[in-house]
Amino acid sequence: MSATGASARVPALMTAAGAVGLGATWFAAGAARFWANWLLWFLFLLTIGLGALFLVALEHLADVRWSVPIRRTAERVSGLVVLTAPVALIALLALPVLFPWTWPEAAARPAVAGKAAWLNVPFFTIRVLVCLALWLLSYRILVGGSLRQDRTRDPRFNIRARRFAPAFMAIFALTLTLAAFDWMSSMEPEWYSDIFGVYVFAGSFLAGLAAVSLAVLYLRDRGRLSRVRFDNLYGLGGWLFAFAVFWAYIAFAQYLLQWYGNLPEEVFWYKERIEGDWLGLALVIGVLHFLIPFLVMIPRDAKGKPGSLGRAAVLFLVAHFLDLYWLILPAAGTGPLPSWPEASFALFFGGIALLWLRRAMTIGEDMPVGDPFLAESLEYRL
Amino acid sequence: MSERAFAVLGLFDSAQALVDAAVRLAPRRLGRLEAYTPYPVHGIDDVLGARRSPLAGMTLVAGALGAVTAMVFEWWTSAVDYPVVTGGKAPFSWQAFVPIMFEVTVLFATFTAGLGMLHLLARLPFFGHPILSSKAMASITRDRFALAVEAEAGGLDVEAAKAALAGAGAREIEVLTVPAERGPFPLRFLSRSALGIAAACVAAGYATYWGVKLIPVLPPMVHMLEQPRLDAQEANAFFPDGHGMRPPVPGTVDREHVPYPFRTQEEAAALVNPLPRTAEVLRLGRKAYENHCAVCHGALVNGVPTLTPAYGAKPANLQSRAIREVADGQIYHVIVRGKNAMPSYAADLTEEERWAIVHYVRVLERAQNAKDEDLR
Repeated sequence: MSATGASARVPALMTAAGAVGLGATWFAAGAARFWANWLLWFLFLLTIGLGALFLVALEHLADVRWSVPIRRTAERVSGLVVLTAPVALIALLALPVLFPWTWPEAAARPAVAGKAAWLNVPFFTIRVLVCLALWLLSYRILVGGSLRQDRTRDPRFNIRARRFAPAFMAIFALTLTLAAFDWMSSMEPEWYSDIFGVYVFAGSFLAGLAAVSLAVLYLRDRGRLSRVRFDNLYGLGGWLFAFAVFWAYIAFAQYLLQWYGNLPEEVFWYKERIEGDWLGLALVIGVLHFLIPFLVMIPRDAKGKPGSLGRAAVLFLVAHFLDLYWLILPAAGTGPLPSWPEASFALFFGGIALLWLRRAMTIGEDMPVGDPFLAESLEYRL
Repeated sequence: MSERAFAVLGLFDSAQALVDAAVRLAPRRLGRLEAYTPYPVHGIDDVLGARRSPLAGMTLVAGALGAVTAMVFEWWTSAVDYPVVTGGKAPFSWQAFVPIMFEVTVLFATFTAGLGMLHLLARLPFFGHPILSSKAMASITRDRFALAVEAEAGGLDVEAAKAALAGAGAREIEVLTVPAERGPFPLRFLSRSALGIAAACVAAGYATYWGVKLIPVLPPMVHMLEQPRLDAQEANAFFPDGHGMRPPVPGTVDREHVPYPFRTQEEAAALVNPLPRTAEVLRLGRKAYENHCAVCHGALVNGVPTLTPAYGAKPANLQSRAIREVADGQIYHVIVRGKNAMPSYAADLTEEERWAIVHYVRVLERAQNAKDEDLR
């Protein structure tokens, strides 16, 4: 236990150092910078957690076999949704700072004033609370039920989860779209893009998959998931590969339409993000989020060999973070180059997330031992 | 009819027995090993020594080729050969090319993958595979597992293969033969199929063409013409005066309108040609003159026209001494206001073109009436 004690000390120190930086950011760099980073990390952790929860629900929905041995790991990662609940509630304080529709001068901007029935603080808060409640409820049904099954070995959980999974898909699609529109789009309330929710979903599922892959490889290295083999890992790699393409498809579809239409109320959003130094970041995201992973993951082995899968997962997590950075920070008026406030937030939230996940990796058994399909799934072959 | 051996087939009771036998036979290189089983047996590919399929690489190359083909084709058609500005975008707008590149990439890749799989790897078309007429076929589709030693280019040592399969524990052994002269690739069938398909396409094309032409049941595709749209010169009940086209608001001034106050040629004589007498201006003047003036005043501005004799009017000879001596502004005035039978060309020529024409006319006049110093 002393080794694990030491491994807890590093993230704890990170969190403590980051907390100091957070305070310094608040006083020295201003509230806008503070809240922009807060939102960034809130959405980064939230999208990872929701992506993992989506993977869990997908398994129940499609009655999948390959992922049963790694489902517990996905369930543990999806616990990040619980961690982000208080982060979301605190993020509500960012409304008057970062969201122009809360400002008094919003009434003078016709397009913003016209959306006042939707974009107002009480309704926004209600939407956030409803989304959080639905996510926590889904987490309880899917993950809580699965943990109970470890003890009861009751196969009826699989039937319940399979019935709930389609409903979860509808809930997930709606709430993730709402979250994307509310927390990101509405920072520039004149802008609109119907496909933005799908764009965030693509990144979210990728990030969830990447985090689950890393967690599975971590546990496997420690001999706790030694029966998870190439054939199971290939499923994760296959999804990552597919969604790298899906993400690029959606991202380009949104860009192409707005570029073609060239309407002032749409293109200003892209203009902010591909002008000056932001263009460099946009290109880096295109390369890291699509080009490199697409080319690297084409061979069969690259999707299931632990080394290459792990490298791809790290790449996707970095790319997803940069993607969110590129989506959020320009709206807050912060320059593209990160500085000490961004580093403090990375330390603080990175440390908290690591501590949380470290604890989460001890929840229940390492595999869903009560699942009646586990034995069959361990024999899964491509 | 002489026959040659196609394969020696050994039947086994279980998938494990098949795998074990394959492991024993693989190093002996008696022929190409192939397994026929009622369900996919995991790991059999490795044991049979199946080569890594080249299909993935072929598909990748074809896909990349598709992307490049589409890119070059679109670049050539829209930026080089016939550049047309569409939607205010530059002729070379890579964004607009991406969807086509994507589609052509997928097209090339899928065709390569599909046809490559069928033809190169599954060796189709290959009619009447000998295994289908074997005695063992019925049990292979039910509960038996067959390991076949198939003939390669150098033929097949039937006795050695039989012995090897028996030694590996085969329950039954069967020798499959094919007619010696039959090739695996029925060229005649293929060529007949291709001819038949081509003939069917031609017939269908003609049938559609004449069907649409002779039996006017289907309206032609005129949806673009039948829009609820107001065409130029059309009447329209929406406006009180019944005209569809609206007159400009009173007091409207054209963009780039330059007021021209002069009433007579004499008043305009004071105008000075603002353009420099450069080759570029003269080229513009020649183009405008030949488009608008030459039909009446002639290519040499001497009033010998190409068109107007049938018309009755006598165009001015700009080479005449009287006109050679008038001021530039007076020629300009006639272009703007017209004179006698000549109408105003103000609507057809820009300010710049009119002055360029004046320069050009002066050059032609001088060319026909050169002075001594010009010849030196």
